[in-house]
Amino acid sequence: MKRFIFAAGIAALCLGLFCSFPTMNDQVQAASTEKMTVLNPMGTPPAIQAKQMAPRLDTLDGKTIYFVNTGYIGTDRLMEVMSDWFKANYPKTNIVMARGSMTNIPPAVMAEIGEKADAAIVGLGH
Amino acid sequence: MEVSFNYGMPGLRIQYFLGPVWAKTNEQLKKQIVEGNNPINGKPVMKELVESLTKPLTAEEKKMGELKRDMGPATYTGTADELQQLFLEKRYTDFMPVILPTEEKVAEMLKATSHDPDEQLGRMNPGSEAGETWTYTVKTAAINAVMAGAKPEYFPVILALGSTGSTAINVSDNGFAAAAVINGDIRDEIGLNYEEGAVGPYAHANTAIGRAWNLLSINGGNCGKVGTTYMGTVGNAQNALATIMAENEEMSPFQPLSVRRGFQKGENIVTLFSGWGVLSAANWKVNAWGPDMNYPQIAKDIYAQQSPGLFGTVLILSPPIADFIADDGYDTVEKFTEFVTGGSAGGGFGGFGGPGKKPAGKPAGEPAGKPAGKPAGKPAAKFGGFGMGGNFHVIVTGASNNNYWMAGGLMPGRSVNIDEWR
Repeated sequence: MKRFIFAAGIAALCLGLFCSFPTMNDQVQAASTEKMTVLNPMGTPPAIQAKQMAPRLDTLDGKTIYFVNTGYIGTDRLMEVMSDWFKANYPKTNIVMARGSMTNIPPAVMAEIGEKADAAIVGLGH
Repeated sequence: MEVSFNYGMPGLRIQYFLGPVWAKTNEQLKKQIVEGNNPINGKPVMKELVESLTKPLTAEEKKMGELKRDMGPATYTGTADELQQLFLEKRYTDFMPVILPTEEKVAEMLKATSHDPDEQLGRMNPGSEAGETWTYTVKTAAINAVMAGAKPEYFPVILALGSTGSTAINVSDNGFAAAAVINGDIRDEIGLNYEEGAVGPYAHANTAIGRAWNLLSINGGNCGKVGTTYMGTVGNAQNALATIMAENEEMSPFQPLSVRRGFQKGENIVTLFSGWGVLSAANWKVNAWGPDMNYPQIAKDIYAQQSPGLFGTVLILSPPIADFIADDGYDTVEKFTEFVTGGSAGGGFGGFGGPGKKPAGKPAGEPAGKPAGKPAGKPAAKFGGFGMGGNFHVIVTGASNNNYWMAGGLMPGRSVNIDEWR
C-alpha cells in the first residue's frame, strides 16, 4: 500500500511538472525579453586638469639626468646597474643619484632637480 | 598609468620591465631588466627609456584642459540578461549576477534612512592616496545595496560602513582583507548570525552587508580593479566578500568590543578591521589538541610569533574558549591582554609579549580607548588604527559546539554608530 501511494505521488509530481512546464517557460521567455531601466552604480571621480609635460631632450650628450630612488627595495641596485649602462653607452651623459620616498620627493630634492637636471627618472613604482 | 592620469599627466612616459627587482643581484638585474625587453611591447628596455627622454612630445601628450572620462549614462535600459552582461563587462559587479537596481527597488532601499539621497555619504580611495579619491552619495550606496541583495533593514549598517570611506578591497600588493564587527541590539533585529559559521557567509544579513560593502567599494570608490586599483600579488580569498561578524554578546564572558571602545551596551555600533585576514600563518597553534588545554598560553604564543607585525593579532574566540580563558582568571579582555602582551599592546605596532603575568594589578585596557567627541552634524566615527588601536584584539563570536577558534592579523579602525544612519 505504501509503495502504491509513493508511486502515485511520483506520478502526480511528474504530471504537475509536465503540466506546469509551458507556463513556467512562458514566464522565463517574457522576463528575458521585457525591457527594464536600471541605475548606474558608480560614484563620482574628481575633476582632473591636464598638466603640461616637459619638452624632450634633443640629445643626451652633455646632459644631466637625475635617478630618483623612491626607496622601494632593490631600486638602489637597479639604478646602479642602469647608471653603469649609461656610462658605457652614453659616456657624455652625467648621471646623478637622488633619494625620495615612496610617498613623495622632498622639496629640497625637487628644487635641486629643477635647478640642475635636464631630465629625471623616478623609480620604482610599488 | 592610473596614478599619472590622476595627477594630470595621462601621457607620462612610463618604462615597464619584468619585475620584481626585490632580492635580485646586480647581475640578475642587468640580464633580466637592463638587457631585457619591455614585457608589454617587447622593445628593449634601455632603448625605449632613451627614446622616452628624447622623442618629442606628441600632439596628444601636449593636450591641456580637463581630462574627460566616460562614466556612462545615469541609467541603462535593456533586458535582464543584457543588463547583467553589461554590468559584468563594465566591472560594476563582483563577477556574480546582481539584483538589477531599478528605480523602484532603490527607492524602497532609501526608505530605510532619513538621510537625503543626494547627501554625500563618503569619500573613498583604494587604500592609498596614490589612487583617486571618489565621492558617493546615499543613493549610490542604495543602488549598490540593492545590487548586493540587501534588505532595506540592513541599509543603516551599509551606510555606516560607507560613511567611513574605508574600502573593503585594498589596493595593496600584499592583498589585505577587510572585516567589520557589529555590536548591539541590531544583531537580532536584522538577523545577523553570531552562532555556527559566524565568520562565514551563513546568514543573509552577514552575506548581503559584506557584499554591499564590496560593491560600494568597487563602484563608489573605484576599488578592486585589477591592474589599476587592485594590485594583490596573489590576492586574498577574503576579498570575495567582506567579512561581517556580529559578536555573540550573550554567550561571551567579556564586555562587548563596542563597550570596550567606549560605547554603551546595546548601542548599535560597527567597528572596522583591516589586515591580513581572520587566519594567519601563526594560527596553526589554535588547532592544538589535548586532554588539558592552556588557552591563554596558546594565545600568548601566537601573539609572540605574530607581533609585532603590521596588523598585530586578533583572536576570534568561540564562547567556550572565551570561558576557558575567563575561568583561568582572565575575566576581562584587559587582564587577558596584559597577560598576552606583557602590557605592550597599546603601542600601535607594539612589541613581543614579555614574561607572562597572572591577572592582577592594573589592567592594560582595550587599546582603542574612549571614543572621541562627535563632530557636529556627522555620525560618530573614531580612529583606532596605527598607534592607537594597539596590536592585540579579542572578538567573541560563534557557537559552542566545539573548542575551536581563530587567530589572524587584523587591526581595528573606526567605530561608527549605526543608528545615526537610520
